[in-house]
Amino acid sequence: MNWFWPEGLFAFLMVATFVFGAFSFKLPIAVAMSLAAVVGGLAAGEGLPVRHLVEGTFGYLDTILIIATAMIFMKVIERIGLLEAMAAWLIRKFKSSPLLLSLGIMLLIMIPGMITGSSTAAVLTTGALVAPVLMKLGVQIHKTAAAIAMGAIYGMIAPPINLPAMIIGGGIDMPYVGFGVPLLICTIPLAVVTALLLIYPGLRNKVRDEGALEGELRRMERVPITLRLFLPVAVLVVLLGGSSLFPSVFPSLGMPLEFLIASASAFLTGSRWKPVDTVTEAIDNALPVMGILMGVGMFIQVMTLTGVRGFVVVSALALPAWLLYVGIATSMPLFGAVSAFGSASVLGVPFLLALLGKNEILVGSALSLIAGLGDLMPPTALAGIFAAQVVGEENYFKVLRYCVTPAVLTALWGIAIILGAGYIAGVLY
Amino acid sequence: MAWKPGGNVQTALFLIAAVAIVAFGAARSFVSMWEMDTIVPAPGFEKHMLSEWFEGIKDTPADTPVYIQEGSEPGGTVFVMGGTHPNEPASSLTAVLFLERAKVHKGRLIIVPFANIMAFTHNSPQEAHPQRISFTLPDGSLRSFRYGSRATNPIYQWPDPDVYIHPQSGQELAGSERSNLNRAHPGTPDGALTQRLAYALRQLVMAEKVDLAFDLHEASPEYPVVNAIVAHEKSMELAAMVAMELEISDIPIRLEPSPKNLRGLTHREWGDYTDTMPILMETGNPSQGRLRGRTDEDLVLTGADKYYAWAADLGLLFIPYETDQPIGLRIARHTSALMSFFDSLAFLDPSKEVVVSGIPAFGELAENGLGPYLSPLD
Repeated sequence: MNWFWPEGLFAFLMVATFVFGAFSFKLPIAVAMSLAAVVGGLAAGEGLPVRHLVEGTFGYLDTILIIATAMIFMKVIERIGLLEAMAAWLIRKFKSSPLLLSLGIMLLIMIPGMITGSSTAAVLTTGALVAPVLMKLGVQIHKTAAAIAMGAIYGMIAPPINLPAMIIGGGIDMPYVGFGVPLLICTIPLAVVTALLLIYPGLRNKVRDEGALEGELRRMERVPITLRLFLPVAVLVVLLGGSSLFPSVFPSLGMPLEFLIASASAFLTGSRWKPVDTVTEAIDNALPVMGILMGVGMFIQVMTLTGVRGFVVVSALALPAWLLYVGIATSMPLFGAVSAFGSASVLGVPFLLALLGKNEILVGSALSLIAGLGDLMPPTALAGIFAAQVVGEENYFKVLRYCVTPAVLTALWGIAIILGAGYIAGVLY
Repeated sequence: MAWKPGGNVQTALFLIAAVAIVAFGAARSFVSMWEMDTIVPAPGFEKHMLSEWFEGIKDTPADTPVYIQEGSEPGGTVFVMGGTHPNEPASSLTAVLFLERAKVHKGRLIIVPFANIMAFTHNSPQEAHPQRISFTLPDGSLRSFRYGSRATNPIYQWPDPDVYIHPQSGQELAGSERSNLNRAHPGTPDGALTQRLAYALRQLVMAEKVDLAFDLHEASPEYPVVNAIVAHEKSMELAAMVAMELEISDIPIRLEPSPKNLRGLTHREWGDYTDTMPILMETGNPSQGRLRGRTDEDLVLTGADKYYAWAADLGLLFIPYETDQPIGLRIARHTSALMSFFDSLAFLDPSKEVVVSGIPAFGELAENGLGPYLSPLD
């Protein structure tokens, strides 16, 4: 009982407050999380820990800025007509080659995540770009969102930039060197399988009403597709790619500023757009998730303050050897409910330490893959919720249903890589 | 029962007022961390500022005090640096102990107690650390010291890039590591503040012809390099002598070679870029580990934590841990190792001997803690 008391009780009270607030009182998730943090502080005798509540939110300041500006960028490229024009072009070009299109679209979704290490950036850029294409060609709306969410997560984990792997490696002073091939092994097979599961079946079906599709395509092409229309995307590619791939010669302005500069370049091309109106709509759309992140920041800080974090981490590590892998496959995605990066730091590092002796690069890569699944886990579900938003679905749980199969495959693949790390290392090195 | 938030001018005004009150309260708490810790240097120490060795940090928040005491006889020069990571308090407090107690008879002792002084002014989000820790002195008075963060305060250096590239090696690290002084060495004269700070420290080491340089740290008990000396190739012979001496004195310690492929750390870069023999030392600090339970001042001071005790039973720790790991014991480990290094330096080269007295022995510190050895404030 000593291990459970009182930290287990604090954990129960915090989770119960969240569930009760969110589901019984229908409070916004952000408010329910904040209340849960306050209750945790009160129960642990910390009073109303204002300093801790505010300090916890600062852990997500950078993420929030990225989300806000990436959302502005997405709204801008939608308003200038680029999204629809690009989608129409892709449909005309590739609708007769569904397999190629499935795999190509999956890669397209992944690229921004690969370059920036952020699943949000992937969903709100190329994810938003391909969403109308997939839906017009017959991929069911929730499968479209699920494919975008999964592709964004695989992009976040694929090389060259994988922030969870850097965080896990940093925890044991392991430099981020030699991760390229292991991360490709982690992600590419899963990306192919997910494309075949979620995208290909929809694209393979013949479009039932060619006439209606043609009319729709003409409407989408009202802004002619020209090189100049791609200006915001080109600016973003140069800014993000330049600073990530050539850091010694290209200054890093930070992702938020890069998204804003790319958005501003849209004044020079496409349909006219109203900046105040567009930015207001973008922030309005992003506000719930930004609020959730603030609530989650408070929640984690109070978990740490009250000892609930240690209770969770050591309980996971105390699992018997055969259950350790089950623990990794479940606790890391579940902890991702507070963020994939948080899961990588809080659980990924201890798990890697518990698995020392296997090839650390492969194990670290696989743990980062499993941590990435946290971006599907409500309430934060950064990849999932934004993927639902880009297809216009308000209920994320309808999307999550279709993520279950690829997510389970992802967790199993990650565990398989950990178990076979010695063998894979023998082949690779 | 569904509660729908209303949206009118009154609720907006109410929320704005609530935010203002919370922001004011939190800001007062954060700003309290800007107040410097008071130090009472022992007689003989001269106070300088690091910017005297590199103008590029003058009038910036990176500039930090440097204390120098010269013995009456010539000898070697030893540099003790604490506070690279202010969330590892035995590091800066060992330096403070030497600063307040040391009497140098031979050679020169240079002390920087708060190396990354910019990281002492805040706590890391979501780590819930206490802002200060206090020690009771024999006269009943209290001395308090800040418990800061591993990283430079973002109000001085922000935003971090997505990926931090170590300038000299091109090694990639998570972007937040740009704010970590112990990934910034050997530093650059025109980089971000943390990188310039590292450059200034290197200039000090070179200009003062430091023979032996220490960077004191703490690590979480589940981290393999803990209760350890990490030595560059140049320092390995000396470090091996000290490790043996400590083992004989019943103070078990690991001896680790500085990895050549892990760049930006003092034990690698000072060894490669200067003539000094660099040493990094780690003790086990449960208050910075990921397995810890309730996080408060008591945990920092006693290191007593039931989840670490459980983890020790599970064989997950790299330090002997039964019920606690008091800060007095951690400071005692650093102190004994430093004194042993001072003694051993003379074996390598008698002309570099450094003789220091006034420092409490391992048993005294482990038994009595730090408080009795701090000087009272006037």
